[in-house]
Amino acid sequence: MNTQGAFHGLGQDLAGGLGLPGGIGMLISASIGIAAVMGAVTVLAMYLIWQERKVAAHIQVRLGPMRVGGWHGWAQSIADGIKLLMKEDLRPGGAPKVLFYMAPALVLGAALATFVALPLSTNIFIADVNLGVFYIFGIGALSVIGVIMAGWASNNKWSVLGAIREAAQVVSYEIPLGLSLLVPVLMHGTLSLRSAADAQAGWAGMQWAVFTNPFAAIALVLFFVAALANAGRAPFDLPESESELVAGFHTEFSGIRFSFFFLAEYAHMFVVSAVGVALFLGGWHLPGLSLLDGTAHDVASAVIFIAKSWIVVTLMMVIRWTLPRVRIDQVMSMGYRYLTPIGLFCVLGAAWWELYL
Amino acid sequence: MIDLRPRKASGVNNWFTNVYRAVWTTCVGMSVTIKYMFSKSVTVQYPDERSPVPDRYRGIHVLEQEKCIYCFMCARACPIDCIEMEAGRDEDKQLDWVKFTVDYNKCMFCELCIYPCPEDCIHMSKEFALVTEDRTELDLDLLSWKGKTPESEKTAPADEAVAETPEA
Repeated sequence: MNTQGAFHGLGQDLAGGLGLPGGIGMLISASIGIAAVMGAVTVLAMYLIWQERKVAAHIQVRLGPMRVGGWHGWAQSIADGIKLLMKEDLRPGGAPKVLFYMAPALVLGAALATFVALPLSTNIFIADVNLGVFYIFGIGALSVIGVIMAGWASNNKWSVLGAIREAAQVVSYEIPLGLSLLVPVLMHGTLSLRSAADAQAGWAGMQWAVFTNPFAAIALVLFFVAALANAGRAPFDLPESESELVAGFHTEFSGIRFSFFFLAEYAHMFVVSAVGVALFLGGWHLPGLSLLDGTAHDVASAVIFIAKSWIVVTLMMVIRWTLPRVRIDQVMSMGYRYLTPIGLFCVLGAAWWELYL
Repeated sequence: MIDLRPRKASGVNNWFTNVYRAVWTTCVGMSVTIKYMFSKSVTVQYPDERSPVPDRYRGIHVLEQEKCIYCFMCARACPIDCIEMEAGRDEDKQLDWVKFTVDYNKCMFCELCIYPCPEDCIHMSKEFALVTEDRTELDLDLLSWKGKTPESEKTAPADEAVAETPEA
């Protein structure tokens, strides 16, 4: 099994060809990896934004963007991106400059950094982090700091309220999220997403965590709810509830800085979906995948993995346009009084199931 | 059906009821939204396609010029004086048209000009798109030709003008 990232060999070859030491090769492969992640995530987020608008529109019996690019407005996100790039970069009066300019970068950086530990198949990955799950949610939680920074640096009391809500919500939901993640970690005995997904291999597809352990099925629902709250998605989008706080912590951001927050949100959505798929839904395994081998196997794995994550992301979008936003006290009550006990129950149950059954 | 009345928030039984309701109502809501997601959208892509206009819609005027006898009944009936016309007589006593304009800056589409017409030659069409960048362009000329009546028009009415009438 390949233990080095997808760009490792490329970096080493480049450095070797230029007569540079291996350390430079590592640097080159890391840079290629970073560039690949940034490019891929930007394109992905732009696609997801377009898709969200389409899903929203069709749920409301509308059509959504239809003009830009010809076919169903596929280029709408590109047009919006260009528009945002060319808009004036405003900073509110009295806003601390460093914090204000650092916040969006931190939020987007945290979202991008999580992608590094995301494997696409057994052999396609950038870095096989053996603490992958821990790393992703640890780095992902860093975005809270960016959000608080953004809210504070906006010099706007509503933004601060939004940032406080985000902090309270994300920190609260880390608990059920962590508990629900413990269940597949217990089952697979690993924190690496790659090993966890490969632990669910099997021709019939019934080796997926959700099908082998009833507590994992409950934990999947729990994970989904906690991930929604963690990503600040509706119905838990309290931090940016437009009816109360205009746009919450990113009210005062315009142009490219606003788009950073936007990209980060969709990147985060995809990451949590991908983690859920890797841990609960068999990763890149699907009945019949073992019939393929070599490169075809890897490519098919990556396609399956992305497709599964896409389904979860789409479900998140449908949820957003189904449920009304909950109140902040309901969010807290749900996190502490409902999800946390269920999470504890799931962990204990899963452990019992693994030990005695 | 699920009971959605508020309940007292206490007790273990209530806890399970709340969990059940949260899951169940979400599923019901999702089924509704997914059903609508795959239903046909009601949006009409306006400039490319248009929703049907009712038969009695009062859009901009159409004048059957060959039937008009220059009697001023429509202009006199107009409550806001937006119709102006001017014509002379040639040696054959045929009408020699100079202008027949309706100023859509003023027109309120009341249809009062249509009823008094003795020749039934002025009508309101289904056309409603009057967007311009300049107000002066809204003083529309309804004449399809100017000057003396063409020889072809003296005997038979113009086909295009008839085709545009709402009764057609």
